[in-house]
This record gives sequence, C-alpha cells and structure tokens, in this order.
Amino acid sequence: MRNFLYGMILLAFLIIPPVRNTLESIMITHMLVQIPLLIVSGWLMADVFQERFKAFFTKWNENGIAGILLVIFITAYWMIPLNIDRSLEMWSMELFKFGSLPLLAGIPLRDSWKKISSLVKSFIIFNYISMFGLLAWIYIEAPVRVCNSYLESDQEILGWGFLVITVSLILYMLQNVFADQSEASP
Amino acid sequence: MESVKSRNNVVVSYLIAGGLIILVMIIFGILMLLSQGGVLDLQPAAFYQILTIHGTGMVGASAFAAAGIMAYFLSKYVDLSKNVLMTNLVFFLIGVVMVIIGVFSFEYASSWTFLYPLPQLSANAWGTIGALLYLFGMLILGVGFLLFYLDAGRAIIKNYGSLAKGLGWDVISGKKAEADAPSSTVVASTMVVIINVTALTVGAAVLIMNAINVINPAFTVDPLLAKNLTYAFGHIFANSIIYMGVIAVYEVLQQYTKRTWAVNKVFLIAWTMSTVFTLLIYTHHLLMDSVMPTWMLIMGQALSHANGLPVLVVTAYGALMIVYKSGIKWDVGSGLIFMSMFGWVAGVVPAIVDATIVVNQVMHNTKWVPGHFHMYMALGACAMIFGFMYYLAKQDSSIKTNAADKFAFVGYAVSIAALSGSFLVSGVLSTPRRWATHIPEWMGPALFGGVIGVLAFISVAIFVIHFIRFIRIRSKTVPGTYKKEQLA
Repeated sequence: MRNFLYGMILLAFLIIPPVRNTLESIMITHMLVQIPLLIVSGWLMADVFQERFKAFFTKWNENGIAGILLVIFITAYWMIPLNIDRSLEMWSMELFKFGSLPLLAGIPLRDSWKKISSLVKSFIIFNYISMFGLLAWIYIEAPVRVCNSYLESDQEILGWGFLVITVSLILYMLQNVFADQSEASP
Repeated sequence: MESVKSRNNVVVSYLIAGGLIILVMIIFGILMLLSQGGVLDLQPAAFYQILTIHGTGMVGASAFAAAGIMAYFLSKYVDLSKNVLMTNLVFFLIGVVMVIIGVFSFEYASSWTFLYPLPQLSANAWGTIGALLYLFGMLILGVGFLLFYLDAGRAIIKNYGSLAKGLGWDVISGKKAEADAPSSTVVASTMVVIINVTALTVGAAVLIMNAINVINPAFTVDPLLAKNLTYAFGHIFANSIIYMGVIAVYEVLQQYTKRTWAVNKVFLIAWTMSTVFTLLIYTHHLLMDSVMPTWMLIMGQALSHANGLPVLVVTAYGALMIVYKSGIKWDVGSGLIFMSMFGWVAGVVPAIVDATIVVNQVMHNTKWVPGHFHMYMALGACAMIFGFMYYLAKQDSSIKTNAADKFAFVGYAVSIAALSGSFLVSGVLSTPRRWATHIPEWMGPALFGGVIGVLAFISVAIFVIHFIRFIRIRSKTVPGTYKKEQLA
C-alpha cells in the first residue's frame, strides 16, 4: 500500500503543470526522465492492482509473456518521434501518454518480470540494448528535425543520452554474468 | 523422462539441415569457379547472387550444425531448453527461405557482408524488397541463434555460478583446484556464448540500420562505423564456428582414446585469451581503411597474430598427446576429427600472413583470403562437423561405414587441400576476389578449383548420404530413456 501511495504521489507530481512543462520543454528530459518515471509510477502502484485484479492477471498474464509484450509495444510506441510530437500538440495524446505508461507498461512490467524466465529477461535486455543503440544512431545522425517541437541540437543530445543508456545496460549485463550467482540461482 | 531418440532428434535436425545446405552451397561454389575459369557463361548479376548465397549459406549452415554439436555435448553438463533449440531451428528455416527469396527472386547480391551502403545503393541491380528480405531474413536467423546462446549462458550460470567460473577464472586465480575445473566443453561453450551474444547484438543493430537506409536513404550511417559493426558481427560469428566445432574434438577423442583431456591452468588461460582476442581482432578486416585510428590497426595486426596461438596450440598439442600411443581405433569419424586439427593449424597460417599490415595492403583483396578461409572452414570447422556426424551415427545406431565413406574421407581431404591451394595460388597471381570475370592469366587456378570442387561435392554427398542412412536406421534402434549424462 505504501508503494501504491508513492506511485500515486510520483504520478501526481509528474502531472503538475510546471513539472510537466519543464520536463517536456527539453527533449532529453521528456524522453529519458518523464517517460521512465511514468513507468516507475506504474511499477510502484502495481501491487494494489495485482491484489485487486488477481484473477485477471492470473488468467491473462499467467507466464508473463503477454504482459512483457505489452510493455515492449508501449515503450516502442513512445520512442517514435511522431508520437512525442503529438503528445505535445494534442491533449488526447498527452492523456494517453500519462495513462498508457503507468498502466500498460509499469504495471504489466512488474507483474511479468517475476513470472518470465531468466532467458526471456536476458532476451528483453539484449533487445533493448540493440534498440537503444539504434535510437542513439537515429537521433544523432537524423538528417532532418524528427520532432517539430524540438531543435536538431536537442535530438542530438537525446541520441547521446540513448548511447549512455546502451553502454550502461552493457556494463550491467557484464557485471551480471561475470559476478558469482551461485547462491542467487534457484 | 523422454527417449534418447526424441532428445537427439533436434541435434540430428541441425546436422542434416546444415549438411544438406553445405552440399548445395558447394554446387554454387563450383559454378562460380567454372565461370571464372572461362568454361561456363554465367552472367555477372547471377554470379554475384550466387556469391551472396554461397557465403551466407556456408557460414549460416556451418554455424547451425556447429551449434548442434555444442548443444549435444553441453547438455551433458547443463540443462539446455529443448524448446529454445526448436525455436532456433524454426527461425533458421524461416530466415533461410527469406534470404533465398531475396537473392534469387529479387536479385539481391551484396555478398554476405551487406556492406553499407550497398544494400541500398545497387544501381538498380536489385530493389527495396530484395534487400529487405535479405536483411530481415538475416535478422530472424540472428534472433534464433541469440536465443540459443542466451539459453546456453543461462544454463552455464545456473550450474557454475557465472560465466567467469564457466571460463575457469576461479581455477586460474587459485581459488579452486585444477581437478575441479569445468570441462573443456563448458569452457569452450562459455567462450562462444560471450563472443556470439556480443556479435549478434551488434549484428541486429547494423542490420536494422541498413534496413532503415534502404527504406529511407536520407538516413545515412557513417560508413566506417557501419563497416566496424558489420565485421564485429560477421567476423566474430564466423570465427565462432570452429570454437563450437572443437568441442567435438575434445569429447570424441576422449571417448575414442579412453583418456581424459586434462583441463589445466594453461588451457583455461588460453581460452580466456582467445575470448578477448576474438572480440577485438575483427579490425584485421579494416587494415586497408586508412581512416581507421592507427591504434586499432596495430591492435588488429598484433592481436590477430596472437590469436593464432593460445587455443590452437593448446588444442593441437592436446590432440597429439591424447592420441599418442593410445591404441586408438581409427574410423572415418575420428579421422575427420583428427584431420580437422591439421585444417585449423594450416588454415590459420594464410590468415596470420594476411593480418600483417604491409602484406594485407597487397593481398587482402585477392583470392589469398578465400584460400585461407576455405582451408580453415572446410578442412577445419566442417571436418569437425562431418566427423561428429559419423560419431553420432555410430553412437546411436548399428550403421557401418563402407568403402565409399573411406573414399569420401580421402577425397574430401585431397579436394579441399587442392581447392584451398588453387585459391592461394590465385592470390599469389594477384587475382582479385569477388570478381565475376577473370582475364585469361587468372583462369587456370579457378578452373582447377572448379574441377577439384566436384570431388569435394561427391565426398560431402557421401558424408550426407551416410547420415541419411543413419537417420533411417535409427528409427528402429536407439532404445531407452534419456539420461542426462548419456546424451544431449
């Protein structure tokens, strides 16, 4: 319950107009701060939903695959520059962003992550490594402004941000596979 | 408990798919050489399509069959997922079909290297659909392989604690006794997991970069970055085939000689060195790119020279020692496995020569390089695969080899050595590689290679027929249930 409250507070904080406007005024904070924090808010709120809709999660997300696929689709959707642009121009898209990321990415991510096997987890992480690496290239090298709302220099900074995330994920995986997990393994 | 036959079906499928594709690819190789030799009129467009399918098919099929070897023996030590093995098989077949349609129906012909910006910049030799079919076909193939290696890594970590322990670092550091070191199969598999997960992740990124460029040419890639990524994928993945195949050398020779292949600190250090070197030496493909940072070129030369030594020397020496005065009873399987050590040792020499910058600037774009990798891959890696096919047939059935199999063994050794020699001679004659048309002075070795290639085809056909005979016979045999320590 405490996590749920933290999640609600975080979501409410992100909705406050000055916070929302500040984060969305810079491309890198929009994509690499606001969006991940929206997912985190959903993650924090998940346990209440899991408790309340236990039968639903058991029936529709038994092995975690359906949930993790939903997470991949929703996060991929919010990596597309056109959708970022629209969220700034259309209130309905902004509403969808604030609804979809906590509810359709954060909550299913928490529900699925403990259900999926370590193989699927590794595959998801390596999928995101190549995806973020690719986005780094796209945003750094794009020959045109991909978002009407941001400058070309903004998207280049975002590209470097994606590269930092890619490198961080690689380092995380390296320490993960080389550190001894004898006791951690089931 | 499942039956041994059921469990081995997947490995058998890997081997028969790999064997049949290699056989068809040899036909394409012969056609190209006969065309270069001036006795066959192959249109340049057709030649480059065949070149593309030959390179892609040989590397893909060999890697697939070698993955079967790794799965078979690694399963003795860890629990691999049969579903993942099946998924890899399905993805492999889908990818192969997409690549074939892209190449032959849509005339895609960039060679297996798909070097940016060639997939998009074809001068109308092929269109968008052909390029996308090829690129996404490769991506699907890669996803299947990635799942397989991730599962192998998961299983190794589960049993041994970490990939570091899979490489035996705790033994190297003295925390554990040599007697408790992981088996040679686990060490080799850990190395392959590390290098191939890296290669396939990089490959996925560069394949999609090319695909985006094909769809929208306004999105460009720094060509030097693209070339680095392409070879970081292609070189490492192709190189890994022999590191998977060598598992058969370790396991089969132990069983034939009834001796143990000792895993000591030298062995473990050698494999760790090769793990690092294999990840870094792809830069020897870029020695002619003067815009590369100098330190990377020097590293490419130095580490390529160094990588020729650790695992190769340790394994070749180990193979000689385990066989020496062992009273081993030679047959076609053990013969091929043992011969593969010669193919590996001899085949690596032209590569080390070519990895020397001053030589590379003269030789790299000649047929010297195909001379290296035909000997290395065919007489080394593929000999391991065919040797394992004979071993498995002997293990799982009552099938006997005959005179044709012995003929095929000799024919394969002679034909591949001669074929590789013809490529090396072509290289010495400065014959450019990847050229559809040759001037008369270059035709002799190509024609010789095409003719001797027929003997290689006959030999491999006999190997594959033997394996098909085994598959038919094993339907009546292979009794019992699966025991983890027994079979894959």
